[in-house]
Amino acid sequence: MAKQQEAARLLEQEAVAHQTYRMKLHSPTIAGEARAGQFLMLQVRDGNDPLLRRPFSFHRIQREEGAVEILYRVVGRGTWLMSQMDPGSTISLIGPLGNGFDLSNSGAGPVFLAAGGVGIAPLKELVDRLLSDPSRSAGEEVHLFYGARTAAELLDASLLAAPALRIHWSTDDGTMGFRGTVTQVIEQVVRDEGVRPTRLYACGPLAMQHRLGLWALREGIDTQLSLESLMACGFGACLGCALPAANPDHPTSDHYLHVCKDGPIFSAGSIQWDRIRQQQIAPPIFRCI
Amino acid sequence: MGQNTTAADRSPDLSVHLGPLRLKNPVMVASGTFGYGQEYEDFLDIREIGAIVVKGISLAPRSGNPPPRIVETPAGMINAIGLENVGLEVFLDAKLPHLRDLGIPTIVNIFGNTVEEYAELARRLDGQPGVAALEINISCPNVKQGGMVFGTDPTLACEVVGAVRHRTSLPLITKLTPNVTRIGEVARAAVDAGSDMLSCINTVAALAVDIYSRRPKLANVIGGLSGPAIKPIALRCTYEVLQAVRCPVIGIGGIASATDALEFLLLGARAVQIGTANFTDPAVARRVVEGIERFLEVEGFQSIEEFIGALDLECTFPFAEASCQSLDLDG
Repeated sequence: MAKQQEAARLLEQEAVAHQTYRMKLHSPTIAGEARAGQFLMLQVRDGNDPLLRRPFSFHRIQREEGAVEILYRVVGRGTWLMSQMDPGSTISLIGPLGNGFDLSNSGAGPVFLAAGGVGIAPLKELVDRLLSDPSRSAGEEVHLFYGARTAAELLDASLLAAPALRIHWSTDDGTMGFRGTVTQVIEQVVRDEGVRPTRLYACGPLAMQHRLGLWALREGIDTQLSLESLMACGFGACLGCALPAANPDHPTSDHYLHVCKDGPIFSAGSIQWDRIRQQQIAPPIFRCI
Repeated sequence: MGQNTTAADRSPDLSVHLGPLRLKNPVMVASGTFGYGQEYEDFLDIREIGAIVVKGISLAPRSGNPPPRIVETPAGMINAIGLENVGLEVFLDAKLPHLRDLGIPTIVNIFGNTVEEYAELARRLDGQPGVAALEINISCPNVKQGGMVFGTDPTLACEVVGAVRHRTSLPLITKLTPNVTRIGEVARAAVDAGSDMLSCINTVAALAVDIYSRRPKLANVIGGLSGPAIKPIALRCTYEVLQAVRCPVIGIGGIASATDALEFLLLGARAVQIGTANFTDPAVARRVVEGIERFLEVEGFQSIEEFIGALDLECTFPFAEASCQSLDLDG
């Protein structure tokens, strides 16, 4: 499966939530190879500013149309410039990159998907793949736990609705669905409904994935977490996207995984969470002064 | 076309001599920006590149610095990777054979914490089939021991290069740091100690902070700035090094186009290395080679050798004839 550098045409650009946009790009070579959970590197514009490409996971892969969609939140100058682009623009992409979600054996029982904010991005394509999987037992539900700080940051339900998909909404301020975190809703559903997932897929803020990962490890549930990092290349050359790896044999030794080539999908047990939390790999917050 | 082929019909000769090395073109890719070559094989035929300088190798594997390791800055990036690498054994067993099979001139960048480690690396790499030259890294700003310490003191630089020279007959390139007051002195020291060539520059020591979190943006606090932002510094350093020594010099720093590369060659650098630009345009090396060829054709040069060092320093001010001609070399 070869990585490609492809000049894509912007087909659609749409505001879909607060500071959140969906881009549809005509990029047939990348669309033909891409799988759920993989990502692309997008060049915001020609020249030196901004210098580096930005990584985005595939929100939807439309092979027949030769198109891919990404979902992004404006968090800095690069994403702000992206939000100003008009359909018809040419955008250089590199992809598909990374390992993608493991979908094997996901039809054997209920599956949980957890999305925090713009973390819904890679889970939409995953939902579509899971629901169209012929090996999926009839009646086995896919549960999507989808939360954000406030209702305005959530995608409209019509963009996600699908038969056999149960969506559990939550917001920190109670403006939509359960008031609280995605993790709290998951614990409630497990407790009250007695549903136990065979696998948990998640994407969202690091703190959320950390909490969910620890919960799943305690419960013995297989995890597929989509993690992010700053990165310069996306294909294993710059070594900038390091995450501390759990090494049970040498718990104190330094060993790093790389989001672009070892991930971006990781099991909760492969990451040394405490060391990430100490270093606070937080995405830059976009503020104007 | 008939039999009367004139010089103008032939493609210009891009090959260069670099001391004992002969390369098919003057475009290399810089250490730490091209992995061990394989990372780029989906994007271009890496045999089109003049030479590959592989990610710096130490005797033992190194896991590198904690994250965050990189940050973007205006027209540049700061990195503090910390020389993460697979170590010499894995390099020899798993990485070098592939490059050797492809027949690409492979320059091995070496790094040690002590003079003895540099010497041992040179000894182990001496006579390895497929190794065209060694590049001695005495200029990495991102590690606590070794690294730049050796590159900022002419006496220590001399000691490292001398120890390496003693252990190998391979052509030696010493990679210089810009983080010194007089780069020419370190350049002379390296050449006096037996370096056949010099490459300059490594990254410029730099720092970035976040006013909201009140934290440095890199876990290592200080890192090395690379990218277009450093090109003018790199050109100045290359100029000073060329004034200080007579050996071949390889220009590095912010090269992302044929125009950038030609600027270093104009000064007298006999080759260039492309670094950060490989991350954003993985086929940039091919574009640069093609752009150089087009420039030589249009400007009527039959070989790159005619252009190297053609800088006119006898100019008068104001310029009598300002050239406003500009070719699209990078399209």
